[in-house]
Amino acid sequence: MKLYTLAWSNFKRSVREFGVLVLSLAFSVFIFFNFQNIVFSDAMDVLENYNKDYIDIVTETLSVVFVVFLFFFIWYASNVFLNQRKKEIGIYIFMGLDNRRIGKLYLLESGMVGLFALAFGLVAGLAFSKLFQMILLRLSRISADVRFSFSLQSVMITSAMFLTIHGLMTLKGCHTLRTSSVLNLLSGAKQKEMKPEHRAVTTLRILAGTGILAAGYVAAWRTGDLDSLELGLAATILVIVGVYLLYSGLIPAVLRALTRSKGYLYKKQRTLWVNSLAFRIKKNYRTYAMVTVLMISAVTVLAVSIAMQQRYERMVWFDQTYTYQIISSHEWDGEEICEGIEEDNEVSYWNSFRLLLMDASVFDSRFQNMSGVVSYSQVKEAAGRAGLDFTWPEPGAYEAIDVSHEIMMSFVDEDRAGEKITIDGETYELLGSTKTPYLGNLQTYMNLAIVSDAAFERLHALAENGRAVENWVYNYRIAVPENVDASRPYLTGLAERSEDGSVYTGVNFTDPLNRDTSWVCVMYSLCLFLFATFVLAGGSIMFLKTGNDVYEDHERYQVLCRLGIPRRILGKSVRSEICFTYCCPFVLTVLTSWFSVRALGNVMKEDLFQVNLWSAGAILVLFTLVCAFSVRMARRKLLG
Amino acid sequence: MIMRQLLEVTNLSKNYGRGNYQAPVLRNINMTVCEGDFLAIMGPSGAGKTTLLNLLSTLDAPTHGSILLDGADITHMKNHELSILRRDKIGFIFQEYNLLDSMTLQDNIALPLSLNGVKSSEVIQRVAEQAKIFRLSAHLDKYPYQLSGGQKQRAASARALITKPRILFADEPTGALDSRSSRDLLTCLKTVNDAGQATILMVTHDAYSASYAKQVYLLKDGQIQCRLNRGQDRKEFYEEILSMLATLGGEQE
Ligand SMILES: Nc1ncnc2c1ncn2[C@@H]1O[C@H](COP(=O)(O)OP(=O)(O)OP(=O)(O)O)[C@@H](O)[C@H]1O
Ligand SMILES: [Mg+2]
Repeated sequence: MKLYTLAWSNFKRSVREFGVLVLSLAFSVFIFFNFQNIVFSDAMDVLENYNKDYIDIVTETLSVVFVVFLFFFIWYASNVFLNQRKKEIGIYIFMGLDNRRIGKLYLLESGMVGLFALAFGLVAGLAFSKLFQMILLRLSRISADVRFSFSLQSVMITSAMFLTIHGLMTLKGCHTLRTSSVLNLLSGAKQKEMKPEHRAVTTLRILAGTGILAAGYVAAWRTGDLDSLELGLAATILVIVGVYLLYSGLIPAVLRALTRSKGYLYKKQRTLWVNSLAFRIKKNYRTYAMVTVLMISAVTVLAVSIAMQQRYERMVWFDQTYTYQIISSHEWDGEEICEGIEEDNEVSYWNSFRLLLMDASVFDSRFQNMSGVVSYSQVKEAAGRAGLDFTWPEPGAYEAIDVSHEIMMSFVDEDRAGEKITIDGETYELLGSTKTPYLGNLQTYMNLAIVSDAAFERLHALAENGRAVENWVYNYRIAVPENVDASRPYLTGLAERSEDGSVYTGVNFTDPLNRDTSWVCVMYSLCLFLFATFVLAGGSIMFLKTGNDVYEDHERYQVLCRLGIPRRILGKSVRSEICFTYCCPFVLTVLTSWFSVRALGNVMKEDLFQVNLWSAGAILVLFTLVCAFSVRMARRKLLG
Repeated sequence: MIMRQLLEVTNLSKNYGRGNYQAPVLRNINMTVCEGDFLAIMGPSGAGKTTLLNLLSTLDAPTHGSILLDGADITHMKNHELSILRRDKIGFIFQEYNLLDSMTLQDNIALPLSLNGVKSSEVIQRVAEQAKIFRLSAHLDKYPYQLSGGQKQRAASARALITKPRILFADEPTGALDSRSSRDLLTCLKTVNDAGQATILMVTHDAYSASYAKQVYLLKDGQIQCRLNRGQDRKEFYEEILSMLATLGGEQE
């Protein structure tokens, strides 16, 4: 039991040291728990009637990402901690503890840390779970009441996941302690030498690093559409390798060169921090590279979600162009219907056009069930009344304009200009494709084309022999789309259908709250969540790392204080060193993500420049805060 | 040559502990150090040598008494004044060399100057001078871990003297060195002292190291028990110190 007491007293004594680890582990528990909680909560039940399959795929993918992330994060935090503890643990060997008992001691300490972290993380997770779900739903634009809810299942999964990974790391630490020599333990992780490297190796690293990174950028630049997806993949790999090599080659080389040019070094009190950076980078570069890659991934994930969001918004806009669409086999008085609707709703605009529906034998419907043509001047007028841009020139006698719609998961931006279509045995050349919802939701379900007025009249003749059906379409947009149901009784009253189906009137309602693509919004908000997690994780890894460096620097700064070097100068030196440390990953992230986001934008056919701005801003704010916090912590620890 | 008084210590006492549990370590010490002195303080372990040195070098504050350095009382100075004083007037050598392992020898020696805003070209030149005196010119590009203890201690001395301090304090500088390295270091210090470039106050418990000094004080029971002045010959002085230690019951090898 004595060992237990020792472990407990250690834990109490160095709350600071353990605190950072407990906090960062609790952070990972917090994130994971919240994610799990969302997956198992009411919030997801709301979506049950939507595309559950899609959501399941998304959440499963994200779960894997989170587990991988959790694994690396815990691994990293435990390692930092182990290195800090090594020295103290080494001293116990002198006090007569053997390696096995020391392993046990570490096991106990680590167990306490793990349990505390789990408890904190879960409590914080529970406390914030409602807030998280609310944010998620708000971002997803799903209106649902969120009760304060948590599922036992998510608690169990989080605990099991965390304890397994943390347990593995602890066992690994134990093994390291049992097998390392006293000397090794006493010197801890403290770096004693500046590992010399062969010139040729350095040169190779520098050349390969810059070359590979540049190649990655070029590949990303040239990634254009689906066909060049291999290029995108190549860019990803090249950039990761390039970043890694840059941190192990060029950046250390530059720092070393700086330490060698004394004229630079001895000015403005640079000597301390530049030397310190040059000395450390060889040990720390993996961390910096990891953080950079993590940040780039974060920004790219954000870009994916924004691209989805943009496309989704266009689809919503597409849908919302007309709140009601009435399609009928005979002519109605549009003005009268409008007045009917205005009993309950204000109509923003309305229009109408004639639609010639055709048999597949007349006009091949490609992927849709039905095909049809509309006349140029009617569409132009309808567009004018709906306030939609319409700049197409009138097609010639044997020309047409293809009318299509947004597809969520399609990466091909189809412009069918120049293609030929056949209607009633005659060939029409397409002037191009439009995705503007002139014809509203009909565009989603039908294969439609705009033809010249003359051609429309010519094709109209088909209606007489039954190979085409003429339809009258009336479109209404109300001022408050959410109020769609108010006019439902009136409009349903218009619907009719004769026995033989030759006389009919159908009404199509667009409910803004009820769209089967809300999974996109869920995905969008989960991606945001992922972005926040990655960025926060990057920030906390940097924080842990600087904390660890500070721990090693303690003696150095004591010497400097005794030598009479003013605290002000030492404080400035600490700040410069830490700021540079944060600067490198930031600059590299912003630069690289510019390329990655651009490539993604090219593939998804979205303009994503704002993602660059926003993500850079978000990372800048976070890094500035964490950096300021690091500097404060370092100054307090080093300069008292 | 008129010897100017550099350090004047009157009625210096130091107690450790609080309230009724105070233990006196130094009692009423009076001494003066003049410019150009090379003073060694000896005494058994626990006699308070390090304590005395810490008081004189402003790292610690006395319980009673005053210390005048260059005519200014350092016992009543504020923290930032002390830091300026340490920067401009005092040099230190510690038993553990206390070089920064993150930089080369050259940068280590240059550190006090470069951090205090001296022009780069002058820093480089002064480092070269110091390196020559301490016979380190060949090792300037090496990192501390690549050097022997003796070389490291000489580098620490070079770093301490590069700011041309009024006085150099050394606490057992040879404590971690073998006899050869000790001799090398002491010879260097003696050279600097003889050239009139440094006033040195050194704590040691080793009679051989002490024999390089011009004066030796024996500290025991919190007071200076005995003061020896060196004649011409260092060997003779060494014998004298040994016999003093024998009669006064100090540490003996
Ligand atoms: N911070 C402290 N608090 C309380 N007592 C102290 C403190 N520092 C030193 N002492 C006590 O003061 C006395 C003198 O210590 P000091 O370190 O000056 O001895 P020293 O002569 O340098 O010995 P050594 O030759 O072993 O280095 C010792 O008895 C020591 O226990
Ligand atoms: Mg001592």
